[in-house]
Amino acid sequence: MTLAVLFGLMIVSVSFGLLSGPSALAPADVVNALLDSHGVGAIHDIVLRVRLPRVALALLVGASLATSGVVFQALLHNPLADPYVLGISGGAALAGITMLTFGAAAGFGAAAVPPAAFAGSVVATLGLYAVAGVGGRVSATSLLLTGVVFNSFASAAIVFLASVSGLADGARIFLWLIGNLSSTAISASGLVAGFLALGLGVALVLARSLNLLALGDETAESLGVASERHKRWLLAATALMVGAAVSVAGLVGFVGLIVPHLLRIVIGADHRLLVPGAALAGGAFLVVCDTVARTMLGGRELPVGAVTAMVGGPLFLWLLRRSQQRVVAP
Amino acid sequence: MTVALSCEDVSVSLGERAVLKRVSFEVRRGEVVGLLGRNGAGKTTLLRAVANGLPGQGGRVVVFGRLQAAWRRRDLARRVAVVPQDLHVPFPFGVAELVLMGRAPHQRMLSFESADDVARANDALERLGIAHLANRSALDLSGGERQLVLLARALVQEPQLLLLDEPTAFLDLSHRTLALRIVRELAAEGCAVLVVSHDLTLSARACDRLVLLREGEVDLSGPPGEVIDAANLSRVFGLEAEVVAGPDGAPLVVPRLSG
Amino acid sequence: MIACCLFGAGPAVAGPPVERVISLNPSLTEIVVALGATESLVAVDSASQRQRAEFATLPSVGGLFDPSLEAVVSLRPDLVLLVPSVEQRDFYDRLVELGVPTVRFDNLRFEEVLDNIQVLGGLVGREAKAARRVAAIQAVRGAVEQAVSEKPRVRCLVVLQHDPIFVVGGESFLDEQVRTAGCDNLGRELGAGYPRASLEWVIAAAPEVILEASPIVQGKEAQGFWQRLPAIPAVASGRVQPIDAQVVTMPGPALDQALRLLARALHGPAIDAEIEVQLRGVGP
Repeated sequence: MTLAVLFGLMIVSVSFGLLSGPSALAPADVVNALLDSHGVGAIHDIVLRVRLPRVALALLVGASLATSGVVFQALLHNPLADPYVLGISGGAALAGITMLTFGAAAGFGAAAVPPAAFAGSVVATLGLYAVAGVGGRVSATSLLLTGVVFNSFASAAIVFLASVSGLADGARIFLWLIGNLSSTAISASGLVAGFLALGLGVALVLARSLNLLALGDETAESLGVASERHKRWLLAATALMVGAAVSVAGLVGFVGLIVPHLLRIVIGADHRLLVPGAALAGGAFLVVCDTVARTMLGGRELPVGAVTAMVGGPLFLWLLRRSQQRVVAP
Repeated sequence: MTVALSCEDVSVSLGERAVLKRVSFEVRRGEVVGLLGRNGAGKTTLLRAVANGLPGQGGRVVVFGRLQAAWRRRDLARRVAVVPQDLHVPFPFGVAELVLMGRAPHQRMLSFESADDVARANDALERLGIAHLANRSALDLSGGERQLVLLARALVQEPQLLLLDEPTAFLDLSHRTLALRIVRELAAEGCAVLVVSHDLTLSARACDRLVLLREGEVDLSGPPGEVIDAANLSRVFGLEAEVVAGPDGAPLVVPRLSG
Repeated sequence: MIACCLFGAGPAVAGPPVERVISLNPSLTEIVVALGATESLVAVDSASQRQRAEFATLPSVGGLFDPSLEAVVSLRPDLVLLVPSVEQRDFYDRLVELGVPTVRFDNLRFEEVLDNIQVLGGLVGREAKAARRVAAIQAVRGAVEQAVSEKPRVRCLVVLQHDPIFVVGGESFLDEQVRTAGCDNLGRELGAGYPRASLEWVIAAAPEVILEASPIVQGKEAQGFWQRLPAIPAVASGRVQPIDAQVVTMPGPALDQALRLLARALHGPAIDAEIEVQLRGVGP
């Protein structure tokens, strides 16, 4: 079964992540460190305090982004939607970067940024839903448009903040905008894990509805789906999932866009397989990208978003070409 | 109960424009009713109003004795199937998958397809002559093939009321005939059918009654033999044609091409 | 009037001391102040303003990314001081086009900073004071070099920010400073400038001393950050030393003070006495 293969892929990527790093550790040492949680020494610290949390976080964030990509693409009837399109990213980024820029002066430390970003994403999503959902029905088009406009506004505000901030904050803002997994405490992983579980749970239960909703609201309703109610649940759970991921990792791009696409080529469009598949594949993908990001330049570190963009950009163009080569008869 | 669908003074406005004005008619079980009219007369809107309900809809739509709004979606979907004119499928669902979706109203939320479901889907594909398309991706279908798939999906839903919006627009004549033959078979099994069509000649044969819609209002309704004559065609469709009796007794429409 | 000149391209420029100076860089502002020519400053950049309260009343002409041409020109300066940078390259070209007297001061190297003090001293009419300052710095440098020459070089890392981790790399002003103070700068392995280091690399590099130059507010977080990694020798032996970033990272007139600070951070307070000994030329 394809899900078993994807699970295997995930395990392979996790191993890759744990065994790779700028300080080339022997596999035996890595395994020993993993098995002996009370050990001491540099190897122990590297494996358990650096690599393991990074790999875990990459898994969770990648799974969250890919799963929400699948859900949003279905809800918006558009395989080109990515999880940031509804303004969730704008809200999270604006709130997070505001906290980053002004929080120090107000006495908040770096740990206040993820909760602020998360709050921003929630507020943005609620606000957008309220604005776009006139007359009780939320159309995909109005959601998309409102989201795009809000994201533009947020971008402008962020540029303003970036230009008034000092150089140190400038670097942090940049890393936030491109997506970065290096700066998070373990506690934040719990947040992401929790909302991933929620989002996955809702999406799995409503996976059949997703199949039907992907064909249009009217079609779904004529096949028995209470579309407004299901859409609300799906939107809410997914928005929380994305908000948590973004608040911790910044705006990691392409995962939510590319992974669902690639999976559809392999698995097809049935969301009952796509949803769990995306979680596994997205996690594996981000673990690999993050491992490359922290290993590629020796002791220097790239932000993971740079790698996902380098990989995802060309991949996306290839996918686009491939889809345009299909001949669709009238 | 014999009346499957009853529209009473149904009115719909899109913005300022009144698209449907106090439309009333009935469809009984075992009956095929054709809904005819010019482009823009309101046929598709009426079908949507009956199938899903439109915002700001006036009047009443009663399905199997209960107000449309009072039905739970799932329960309604077990009885009413809709075949839209076309379906835009942005994702690579397979034909078999699409047809199986018709079983959704009969399935529990978290279950997979049963063997029975799969058998029904295969039967429908066979019946419509598209079994060879079962594994084809929906993105690779022609317009006509998509329409047949939509019809198969509706069959699999086991409807007691079937609503079709120009189900034959892209089909060649032999497939058109096949589709309408199947519709008649369903009616014979007790299904009530409302079909929107542009094909006057085939509608005259397939339908027990015709409802002519003009500018959002019911202009005329009755058996094809009564409704289809040159004067009505001219008034309702702006069509200059001769109407003769065909070899099977139903009227034949011969449009005047010259003059 | 001093013609625009490219620093280092010709002999030092001589002329009457200038009276209206605009500084576009805090390090140059600091030099002017140290030379006792503060009153010649008619405007400074926004960073200089933030650094010294007394400049709050002076007009600001913008910062690194957004200097205001109009503000500069409207003040009719005799001299504009700036440090060459990618961000202000176009701005410099505009100033030259408009005929505004501008001098550029590189400050990537220790020697360049000393030259800056000297040249600025000439421009503002404080040559003698500049020469004394330069001599003092050179004396302290010599003394520090001597004082640490007997000691083993300390494997150290200078951390400018710890989330993300930016360290001092090679070929930079700060690298020169810490090496003078007896540090084997592990950051050189990562290249030039101020590279971003991965946490794993830091642990594997095992520095004996970590000089923490993170901004003040991060101070408490910084300690907590490092305490989680007891495998690092600097953490285990309690040698994560906070240093005053403003003093240490400023390529300005207080290089000697910076060197003393660094030496103390690396070798402990006892080094002060040894530096004094060297300065007086006494001792073995």
